[in-house]
Amino acid sequence: MRYLIGIGNYYGRDDAIGLRIAELIGETGLDRDFRAIDLGGNLLDVVHYLDAQTEQVLIVDSARMGLAPGDYAFFTLDQVASVKGSASLSTHEGDLVKVLEFAEATNGPLPPITILGIEPAELADEPGLSDTLEARLDQYVAAAVEFLAQVGPARR
Amino acid sequence: MGQNIHIDVHHLTRVEGHGNILVNVTDGVVEQCEWQVPEAPRFFEAMVRGRHYSEVARIVSRICGICSIGHTLASVKATETALGIEITPQTRKLRTLLKHAENFDSHVLHVYILVAPDLLGAPSAFALVPTHAEVVARALRLKRLAHEWGSLIGGRTTHPTTVLPGGFSKVPTVAELEAMRAKLAEAVPDLDATLATITALAPAIPAFQRPTEYMALTSDEEYGLYDGYIQTILADGSRARYEVADYRSCTNEYVSPQSTAKFTKNRLDSYAVGALARFNVNYDQLHPKAKEFAESLGMSPVCTNPYFNSVAQVVEIVHSAYEALRLFDELIADGVVEEPLVQPSRWGTGASAVEVPRGILFHEYAYDDEGLCTDANCIIPTNQNHANIQADFDALLPELMASEKTEDEMRLALEMLVRAYDPCISCSTHNLDVEFIR
Repeated sequence: MRYLIGIGNYYGRDDAIGLRIAELIGETGLDRDFRAIDLGGNLLDVVHYLDAQTEQVLIVDSARMGLAPGDYAFFTLDQVASVKGSASLSTHEGDLVKVLEFAEATNGPLPPITILGIEPAELADEPGLSDTLEARLDQYVAAAVEFLAQVGPARR
Repeated sequence: MGQNIHIDVHHLTRVEGHGNILVNVTDGVVEQCEWQVPEAPRFFEAMVRGRHYSEVARIVSRICGICSIGHTLASVKATETALGIEITPQTRKLRTLLKHAENFDSHVLHVYILVAPDLLGAPSAFALVPTHAEVVARALRLKRLAHEWGSLIGGRTTHPTTVLPGGFSKVPTVAELEAMRAKLAEAVPDLDATLATITALAPAIPAFQRPTEYMALTSDEEYGLYDGYIQTILADGSRARYEVADYRSCTNEYVSPQSTAKFTKNRLDSYAVGALARFNVNYDQLHPKAKEFAESLGMSPVCTNPYFNSVAQVVEIVHSAYEALRLFDELIADGVVEEPLVQPSRWGTGASAVEVPRGILFHEYAYDDEGLCTDANCIIPTNQNHANIQADFDALLPELMASEKTEDEMRLALEMLVRAYDPCISCSTHNLDVEFIR
């Protein structure tokens, strides 16, 4: 099974981008060859999709990476270091990198995981994406679907 | 010269959202001892105004990523009350089963991942992986079970999609229910191991007693998770009953300068909600297996140690597992059929209550004659506990000062107290923050 997992807070402006992408993919039927999951902010539940039957996971989330707002990048865990500074494993203060490290420490080697990070333009306790990200939503969806179509199960 | 203590915990870890602990004692005099809630309000009640009744539950589900099933159920129930919708027995049974899945899932998360590190002297669940690998693996197995159980009924566990005003958009097949029931039955050894773990850890739970008022939903038919009336109990066993429609008369919200969230009170200056409150109010309706575990720890109502909320959560894990087995059996025996959504018979105002993992949750909506929401009110459990946490602090600090504990030990005791309530202060942002290393 291949998964696209959207993570974020629907009412956190651009923090919702992962959820909106998963939602749009589901609504438009683009998830024919993979499952699109809207995980909300329940980060620890990512672990449930990381088992031996999982061929590929694409996690989509807003990510402050130092890019221009709205730009995006695909990366794997070994390419980044989290600078979030959360010392413990929590659910709401969740650090995806930490959760994935926890999953690996508990369950052993992870299936292939790639993260599609999208640089936010606005983060606030309000609904709706920023105009910058809203305008590029279709572009993110296309990139995510193309990625899952191109990668083989063996890719890490 | 008396003690000088300064504790400043900014954004307490292993709780949901942001809360601060601030203690200042100078020369033995307590100058400040506060549980502070600095989160910004999010105004969900305003967001649903003008939205059609069919959309409201989907919106308010996003109030919380952990209790999204509870918010969805509270929302559809309030809408159904407002619109004169009477759901079918099958819908009620499926929703109750879904409610059990959420409480089971959240309690496993809280007890194993957020509380157990304190009792084992570890900074986080991470640190338990090398030393207690099987315990952590068991936690994830149980969480996954609940995740699949909730997803089967709700479409997905986080922000369920199948629960709608008037019924379900999709119901599971009998074959799917049978498969899920089998998985739950297979988890009994993990449940037994959970009880053994908690029994072993129980002596590490602080011995602190502070009687308060306990509030929970009560039902003549069940433990009171999905439906019923409001009941409170004091430490002397005296009870008071309130109808859900009159929920404002027992919640009595007020503004506190130390919190952006409203505080509540009822017969006393504060009250508690959550697993311990449910345990105290509804003990007689617990499954015998759950009672058996509580009794094995010497725990009985009215339990006035707030740290035992985590133990009460384990009691409820057992209760939910065995109650769910019974509900699965009934649904399998009766068969499950697709039913049309029950349609509104009027437009008006309605309130509801459900028990979410952290306590009783109230939703209320008013709809105009086009089915558009004109007013909304949500009172979440954590807000109802804030005043009680503060009252616990006020009682606990003098005990800690008299016990010759170090400042670090006092800080840990206060942190553990807050964590015992399993507060869900608000959903904060979850964006990644990374730097590229290659």
